[in-house]
Amino acid sequence: MKQIALYGKGGIGKSTTAANLSAALAGEGLDILQIGCDPKHDSTRMLMHGAWIPTVLDLIRERGDASITVDDVVYRGFGGVRCVEAGGPEPGIGCAGRGIIATFQLLERLEALKGDIIIYDVLGDVVCGGFAMPMREGYAQEVYLVTSGELMSLYAANNIAKAITRLSRRARSRCTLGGVICNAKNIEGERDLVEEFARRINSRLIAYVPRDRTVQIAELNRQTVIEYAPESDQAAVYRDLARAIRGNETTSIPTPLEMDELESFALEFVQV
Amino acid sequence: MNSNPSPSNSSRFEGCTLTGALSVLTEVRDAVCIVHGPSGCVHHNFSLLHATLLANDRLEVPRLLSTGLTENDIIFGGEEALEEAIARGLSLSPAPAAVFVLSTCIVETIGDDTEAVCAKARGVPVIAVPTAGFLGGVFETGVKNALSAVASLARPAPAAEKTLSANLVGEKNLEYGVDENAAEIARLLSRLGIGINLRFVRGIGTEDVGRLGSAAVNVLREPALRPVGEDLRRRFNTPYVDSFPAGLAGTRRFLEEAGRVCGIDASAAVEEERAYQAEMLSRFSEIAGSRVCFRSPHPMLETDPDAVAVCTECTEALNLTVDPDGAAIPFPYPAPVGTAGTRRMLHRWSVLIRGKERK
Repeated sequence: MKQIALYGKGGIGKSTTAANLSAALAGEGLDILQIGCDPKHDSTRMLMHGAWIPTVLDLIRERGDASITVDDVVYRGFGGVRCVEAGGPEPGIGCAGRGIIATFQLLERLEALKGDIIIYDVLGDVVCGGFAMPMREGYAQEVYLVTSGELMSLYAANNIAKAITRLSRRARSRCTLGGVICNAKNIEGERDLVEEFARRINSRLIAYVPRDRTVQIAELNRQTVIEYAPESDQAAVYRDLARAIRGNETTSIPTPLEMDELESFALEFVQV
Repeated sequence: MNSNPSPSNSSRFEGCTLTGALSVLTEVRDAVCIVHGPSGCVHHNFSLLHATLLANDRLEVPRLLSTGLTENDIIFGGEEALEEAIARGLSLSPAPAAVFVLSTCIVETIGDDTEAVCAKARGVPVIAVPTAGFLGGVFETGVKNALSAVASLARPAPAAEKTLSANLVGEKNLEYGVDENAAEIARLLSRLGIGINLRFVRGIGTEDVGRLGSAAVNVLREPALRPVGEDLRRRFNTPYVDSFPAGLAGTRRFLEEAGRVCGIDASAAVEEERAYQAEMLSRFSEIAGSRVCFRSPHPMLETDPDAVAVCTECTEALNLTVDPDGAAIPFPYPAPVGTAGTRRMLHRWSVLIRGKERK
């Protein structure tokens, strides 16, 4: 079983990438589990044709955790992908990070963490230990950073790289960086920029996902690109990504950049 | 960010902010304390307070409630659990005259707004007391925060009518001999014609706090409580003496200081006390001239400089000789309060010295 996690700045397209990745992998005949680890709980929505599935934490809040079964939390979506949403507390109260930890403990107890590949789709920043949970204790062995060429997106990716570096020093953790996915904003020279960023943090660009209207149209139809436009170029891009990740055997311990390094690096690539 | 005032001996002087606050707040006898956190935060404090009450022959049970938070309250927020606990507290019989709500480390971590929950009108004062120790507070911080919280029950009245009386502020309710020490301060102040207005806080009711501002002087238990003394000065315009006295000369200085603060000539009182102390010392004539050897009170405790000063003073007064072969005498901990505390200390010395002689 391979377990991977997608991290990156909020709004960069992690959930879209994750859902299409899951759909593409399922298309290869694999048993896929996608777990949304974000209180916004919209990671698996396109796989579920727009349905909001009950979140683990909603169920815990309403019923307590004693009577919850696998069928209460795992829902089959497009291509047989099994979908879970961790959910979270109401905005502005409680502790979402602890909620992620509780969710993992419950899934562990329910023996729900199984399949050929598990994909953890995690909220924008690793704001606390709870949101680092997918990287900890041997869950995701490979982390993929999703970023565009924008400085703030690279900055977030660099911060996540810091978390990976820190956690990789722990004995129980087998977390490494699998690669960088460029989810493009169509900035000039973006591919080179992200490729160079990946190299500087001791990783590599594993896929370049161009910006394409098909993604938005598929989402308006509440579907992944793989389902809505299987013959499109964009679907081919996601299938390439799926193959690259499935076959990836090169992972690394990242060497994150200092802030000033990151800024001067970004300047090199900006056309003034 | 916080800064942790770390004295060298942290195991003795730091400790739980919550425990410090509860040692004060549970002495408001008609109040209920609610600890907003996991039930364990109440349990060990309950045990400590209960045991201390029993050790002082008080067959009482501290009125403590816990919001009993569990993991789900931490994930989803604990404010509802607090609402419920406050309602439970208010429904107790007899009904509490005040409710103190104490925060814990975990609720401050997740950002529960304890003050906002307490601020709702309920007909009975419900007062939030910040007691999360991880923010840098120690036991003493809890004591100070609790004293300020109790003081908020009294209307601020900088021009309040003063009577020639004193408040005892911040008595160490967990210390051995706390009532004896209070009695000694009362005896000393009575030489100046100053009565005790309020023990703030020990064995009082919520209504009693209303007369907090009418004392002419606040007598703090120890100098560490100066911020509380300043706070009370701002609220009620009451000056303070910053410590209970240690030792014989210290006791006479205390009388002078209290007299000066209250505008009373203390010279006669000081002379009366000096004669009283001489008479007290004369009862220990049988150990005069003995050999003694002072020791640290305990390997885990640093010696209190005040205690050393008191021992030096008594060694001279009784013409004792310090000698490594002398009777082993631990430095007192804490320093003895007043003439009476010094007398009790000398009584222990005489037992140790005679015990050594018999060997």
